[in-house]
Amino acid sequence: MTDIIDKAARALSAGLMLFGIAVLGLIETLAGQPFAPAPMTNEAGDVVATPLVSPEIRTGFVLAGIAVLGLYAAYRLVTPMPDDSDVRHETMAD
Amino acid sequence: MSYQSSNPLVGEVEFALDGPWATYWIAFLRVVTGWWFFHSGFTKILTDGFAYGYGPAYMQQMSGTVLGGIPVWMGNNLAWLIEPGVPLFETLIGLALIAGALTRFAAFGGVIFMSLFWIGNAGFGHGVVNSDLMGLLLFMTVIVLAAGRYYGLDALIEQTALVKQHPKLRYLLG
Repeated sequence: MTDIIDKAARALSAGLMLFGIAVLGLIETLAGQPFAPAPMTNEAGDVVATPLVSPEIRTGFVLAGIAVLGLYAAYRLVTPMPDDSDVRHETMAD
Repeated sequence: MSYQSSNPLVGEVEFALDGPWATYWIAFLRVVTGWWFFHSGFTKILTDGFAYGYGPAYMQQMSGTVLGGIPVWMGNNLAWLIEPGVPLFETLIGLALIAGALTRFAAFGGVIFMSLFWIGNAGFGHGVVNSDLMGLLLFMTVIVLAAGRYYGLDALIEQTALVKQHPKLRYLLG
């Protein structure tokens, strides 16, 4: 059960973060200028082009991915530790 | 192992995180990240003491973010906490990461700070991947890799009787 939740947490968090950063970033790029989620202005300061996807949406996906990891951490705190959770592969401080 | 010299993309790829270079680099990243926050917090203490008035003002202008009205509300109502909290917590987070003590707990605080900086600064002119997001990812890296266990005090703290009796403390250490 823990293994399934581990995998789900990893997949969902990475999926949400990569969707907000890379997938929507690619769509934004292919849609033409501005290539970044910030309005384009001319020399007079007038907005001449606005982003296709607002930064609120993209940051929202990333923060949702981080929240998934936070929820996973909370889940691990309140559930019994797995039997094989001993610290392995660690180097002691000199 | 089916490593093929003709095509390194075929076969198993091993990245052992217990190698000396990996531990050295994880510890180095942790200390530099810690210094970054310690310097930021301690210089605020030197200049403004524990009355960092820009903190609430910064949050009051954070309208139109994905967090909705939460930051603005915090700026308007939690100034009593934010003014001393920003310099104090930045300093403590930095010291904890430098020493490698309570590393994951401290880095969680760093994630909170950097999330607010990332969406609040809104410097997305060159894309959403900016220095604030990279700083946020650094703190998450420290948590995921348990960076305090490498040349940090958490490696010693985790050997104490208290932690052995309460192994879940390792989720906050390490």
